[in-house]
Amino acid sequence: MKRKEFLGRLIGEISGYILQGNPLRMVISLHQEEDGAHISIFDDIKRDESELKKIRTALNPTSKRPELAEYYGLMAGHDTPWDARLKLVGWQIKKATVENSDSGIQIELWLGGDAFNPDHFTL
Amino acid sequence: MITAGFVSGGFIETVRAFITLQTLGARLIQDFTYTHVGAALVNSALVGICGLVIVFFSEIHLAGPTMAAILTLTGFGLFGNTPFNSIPIILGVWIAAVTARKTLGAYSIIAMFGTALAPIVTYLAFELFGGGLWTIVLGIAVGLVIGFLLPAIAGTMLLTHQGYNLYNIGFSCGFLGLFIAGLLKAAGRLRDLSIVWNETFHPVLYLLIPFFGVMLIVCGFLIDRNVSVRDTLASFVKIQKLPGRLPSDFIDMASAGGTLVNMGLLALASWTYAAIIKAPMNGPVLGGMLTIIGFGGFGKSLKNCWPVMAGTIIATLVFGKSLTAPGPILAALFCTTLAPVAGQFGIIAGLLVGFIHLTMVETTAIWHGGLDLYNNGFAGGLTATLFIAFMQWYRTNRPREDFEQ
Repeated sequence: MKRKEFLGRLIGEISGYILQGNPLRMVISLHQEEDGAHISIFDDIKRDESELKKIRTALNPTSKRPELAEYYGLMAGHDTPWDARLKLVGWQIKKATVENSDSGIQIELWLGGDAFNPDHFTL
Repeated sequence: MITAGFVSGGFIETVRAFITLQTLGARLIQDFTYTHVGAALVNSALVGICGLVIVFFSEIHLAGPTMAAILTLTGFGLFGNTPFNSIPIILGVWIAAVTARKTLGAYSIIAMFGTALAPIVTYLAFELFGGGLWTIVLGIAVGLVIGFLLPAIAGTMLLTHQGYNLYNIGFSCGFLGLFIAGLLKAAGRLRDLSIVWNETFHPVLYLLIPFFGVMLIVCGFLIDRNVSVRDTLASFVKIQKLPGRLPSDFIDMASAGGTLVNMGLLALASWTYAAIIKAPMNGPVLGGMLTIIGFGGFGKSLKNCWPVMAGTIIATLVFGKSLTAPGPILAALFCTTLAPVAGQFGIIAGLLVGFIHLTMVETTAIWHGGLDLYNNGFAGGLTATLFIAFMQWYRTNRPREDFEQ
C-alpha cells in the first residue's frame, strides 16, 4: 500500500475518534523517515484512566493479526459517520502510547518496518 | 465427519462417490448428499481441512475469523466446494499475495472464502465441455485467475457496506460472478440452473448439528482454565451486546469460552428452527447451519441474528412461499449475514433488511448463473449497501450537528 494512502487512513480513523469528543482544538503532527513514521495527535479534553486504558488496549493489540490488518484494515478512515474503531489502527502500527498531556489527550503512533526503531524519534 | 462418512457409506463406495463429487457440477444448488451421504461428509471434512492447512502454513491465529472460514468451507463442502475446485482459487490468491509482496496470512481470509467461486472450475473442467485434459487445465487456469483478482475486489466491496455484511467475499464473488456469467452468456455457454435437493431422512445428517452444538457448549465451559462458569456466562452475555460488525472477533473481544457457548447455542437454535418447520436436513441446510456456527465467533450472536431471520420468515409468509422450499430455508439461515445491521441499528432495522433480503436472494442467483456459492452474501451485500447508503446520508445530514448559520 502506498505510504500516502496508508497514513491517510490511519489519520482519518484516529482523528475520527478524537472528533467524537467534539474538542475545541485538535493538533495532528506527522514526522516521516525512510523506514517509518510518527504521528502525534493532541486535543483539549482530558480522559479518565479507564478510557486511557481502553484506548491503549485497542492501539496495542497483544498479538499480530495479519489476516485482519491487511483486509479489514482497509476500512480505517472510511466510516466517519459511525463510531471510530481504534483496533483497525492498532493492527497496522508498530506501537502506540496514550497519555493525558497538560491540556488533553496525547496519542503517539509509531509505524514502519521491522528495522524501524521508534526510540530514535522525538517530537 | 470423515469417520461418520466412511462408517455410514462403506469405504469403497464412499471413495468412489467422493471421486464422482469432484467431477459433478457444483453451481447452486447441488446437494452432494443427494449423490452419497458418506462421500459428502468426507468431501466436506477435506474441504475444511484445506482451510486448516491455510491457517497452519500462513501462521495466523485459529480465532473468530478463521473458525468462521473453516466452518463455512466445511458447510459448503456439502453442496458445492470440493478440494478439486477450491484449491486453484486458493493458489490464485496466494499468487496475488506473492505479487503484492504480502504474506499468505494477510490474504488468508480471502483465500478461504474466495472458494465461493469454485463452481466455475468444475463448470469449465467437467460440466460444459464434458471433461478432458484441456478442459481440466482450462478450469484450473480460470480458478487461478479468479483467485488472483479477488483481493483487489474484496477490499473495495468491503467499503460499500462498511462491514455490515458478514459474507463480504460472497458479495465480491457475486460481483465478479456477474462478469463471468455475462461472458459465458455472450458466448452462449451459460446453462440453465437446476436444483438438486435431497429430501431423504438420514440419521447422521439429522443429528450432526445438535451433537456439534452440545460439544461446543461443553467445550465452552471447559476451555478457559481457571475461569468459572459464571465468568463464561458473563462473557456470553457480553457477546450478545456487541453489534457484530466486521471485523468482530468474539474470542478477542470476549473470551474463547463465551464464544464457543455462543456458537453452540446458535447451532441448537438454527437446528431447532429447521426441525420445527420440518425442513430436510440435507447438505445445503447443514451448510447454512455450519456457516452460522462458524460466524458465531465472528459477528453473529443470538441477539443480532433473530430479527433478521424473523424478517426473512415474515417475507416468506407474506409472499406465500413455503418455509421449507430451498430458497426460503436457505435464505432464513444465510440471511444472518446481515446480523450486524440488527446489532447496530436495532430490531426494526433487522426485520426490515431480513424482509428485503428474501426478495433479493431469489433474484441474484440467476444473475451470476449460480456460480457464487455464497449467493446470500451477494444479496446481503446489496441489501446492506442500500441500507447503509441511506443511513450514511441521514447521519451526515443531521442539521443539529452543523455549524450555526
